[in-house]
Amino acid sequence: MWVTLSAPFGGDVEQQQQPRFSLYGRLACTMAAAVAERGSPEGEDDGRENTATEEPAGAPGGAGGQSRLARLPLSRIKALMKADPDVSLASQESVFAIAKATELFVEMITKDALVYAQQGKRKTLQRKDLDSAIEAIDEFAFLEGTLD
Amino acid sequence: MAERPEDLNLPNAVITRIIKEALPDGVNVSKEARRAISQAASVFVLYATSCANNFAMKAKRKTLNAGDVMAAIEEMEFERFLQPLQEALEAYKKSQKGKKEASELKRKDRERKADDDNDRSREEDIEEEQDDDEGEAEEEVEN
Repeated sequence: MWVTLSAPFGGDVEQQQQPRFSLYGRLACTMAAAVAERGSPEGEDDGRENTATEEPAGAPGGAGGQSRLARLPLSRIKALMKADPDVSLASQESVFAIAKATELFVEMITKDALVYAQQGKRKTLQRKDLDSAIEAIDEFAFLEGTLD
Repeated sequence: MAERPEDLNLPNAVITRIIKEALPDGVNVSKEARRAISQAASVFVLYATSCANNFAMKAKRKTLNAGDVMAAIEEMEFERFLQPLQEALEAYKKSQKGKKEASELKRKDRERKADDDNDRSREEDIEEEQDDDEGEAEEEVEN
């Protein structure tokens, strides 16, 4: 079922080019609005989150953290996935794959935003660097209009 | 506990760590930028899930699998992720297999111990019964 989303995608032409997905646009806007209201308090249940996906046996110390399997908690990822009403079941591997892909995404967008900070001769990554990266890079087009 | 979509942010500490490791030394990140990256990551999860789900539905499957995710990532034009993702998946599958075998062993161990305990307690019951009989026998004699 194609739901017409007005906010995230702007004009009709862009809508046609966007891949068809059901809920994420609406959800993203809802989330963005809600997060804006709450702010983002530090010291949430971060440390106590289930990070059982880390493999201390195979990963001595925390050298770069690359040797760990997944840093994002699979339980949280799964909960996000389940928010999509079209999704009934997801295999453990698929949840892991999404978690890992998301980590790679965070790395990528961080590094791409860094370019703009460096252009501005700054040593601190700012929100506007992120906006510039999103605008300039095709792969980030899905983010347009979804962040507050 | 019902989770509303707006509660489903990814943990700040983890996101911050990933960001810091992606940046060279001496570069900082503002709170607003961190928050925005975290939001973007959540949106990414939703988008990738939706995309992967399309592949599963096309194949008439109700369960999302890792292959659907890989296909989605490619469709989203994040091909650069495919190789590291594949490698991570292999490692994950191996570790899951190890965990499964370990828990199988634990279970068998527990069952064996439970049997031993049952045998032992049965022996104790028998001993107690014998003691009672002796006690009764003595009382009768005294009477």
